[in-house]
Amino acid sequence: MKTKDLVLIALFAAIIIVLGFIPPITLGFIPVPITAQTLGVMLAGCILGAKRGALACVLVIILVAAGLPVLSGGRGGYAWLIAPTSGFLFGWVAAAFATGYIAERFVSRDGSTWQQLSGFFIAAVVGGVAVLYLIGVPWVSVVAGIPFSKALAGSMAFVPGDLIKAAVAAFAARAAYVGYPLLPARS
Amino acid sequence: MLTSLYVEGSSILHRIGARWKIALLFTVSVAVYLVDMWLLLASALAVAIALYSSVGLTAREALRRIAPALLTIFLLCALNAWFTTPAEGGQMALRLVTIVMIAAAVTASMTMADFMEALTAILKPLERIGLVNAADLSLALGLVLRFVPDIFADYQAIRQAHQARGLPLRWHTIIAPLIVLTLKNADTVSEAIDARGIRNLASTRETIK
Repeated sequence: MKTKDLVLIALFAAIIIVLGFIPPITLGFIPVPITAQTLGVMLAGCILGAKRGALACVLVIILVAAGLPVLSGGRGGYAWLIAPTSGFLFGWVAAAFATGYIAERFVSRDGSTWQQLSGFFIAAVVGGVAVLYLIGVPWVSVVAGIPFSKALAGSMAFVPGDLIKAAVAAFAARAAYVGYPLLPARS
Repeated sequence: MLTSLYVEGSSILHRIGARWKIALLFTVSVAVYLVDMWLLLASALAVAIALYSSVGLTAREALRRIAPALLTIFLLCALNAWFTTPAEGGQMALRLVTIVMIAAAVTASMTMADFMEALTAILKPLERIGLVNAADLSLALGLVLRFVPDIFADYQAIRQAHQARGLPLRWHTIIAPLIVLTLKNADTVSEAIDARGIRNLASTRETIK
């Protein structure tokens, strides 16, 4: 692995951690406060690409296991690896990978601003919402013994906030793409 | 700013090796799901409480660490009881609280050094295949910890710059500059690493010869 890749992965893991320090915001029409940390996961995929984004998430998970308070709200330790909501933590790896996979293929330097923004947005939604929930919700269902359909229905409350996050991720990713492009272009 | 959750002490858990603690944790996590006798589940919880109290945390700190998890467990088991039976919900609550307490107890009794040692041991087979490089992993983890305070300071500086200009604080205007600022460091940092030969790569060794 090139040293620069290793450094990028480590720096992005640090970004995901710092985003956890930002206090969650509550928007009037959404029942659940939105945290910035999963925004970092979407960005990892959009900016670093599939492999490096996923590895950044792996680093954060290892630090959680090491007993450091890196999850938003100062949470850390093994309790968060085997809790009912832990699927949403382990899912980060697949989510960043899926986001990166799509971003690598759908965003190109020749595209218009709008094309790039929508490419990043779709990547963030598919990875950060669809794939993440695909792992998180069954985990809740199994670990807490709740029927899958009910667990899924309950998780829907978080989707509006996550869509807003995906939009913010798209803007930030495009700004990074223009200012300091790192996304490998694959077809 | 990232203080470890480890607590100094000499309890039973402190004295067992890291690998045994991790093994204990995963064994218990699986075992409680295979049991549905109230007596066994209650005794498991009692043991978990005993272990967690022996670790050396004040009651307040001990509860603070697992409070969000307990809240989620309470809500989910209430839903469980609603959708299945109250008995099911109750048992699930016993299981989850047991697991969470033992996990928190293991975290509080394991230093980061012990954890890294256990992790290196677990990754040895992967290292042999060539999939993972333990030295690179340690370097990466060290870099993360090194840069979190710096990036947080940058975040605060960007926030203050917004406030000084009377701009409203919005995620999309703060996060993009933060990321570009952070990632631009990558070149300098990786050059510094290579210049010091920290990674001991074949390519850098050749150049030094």
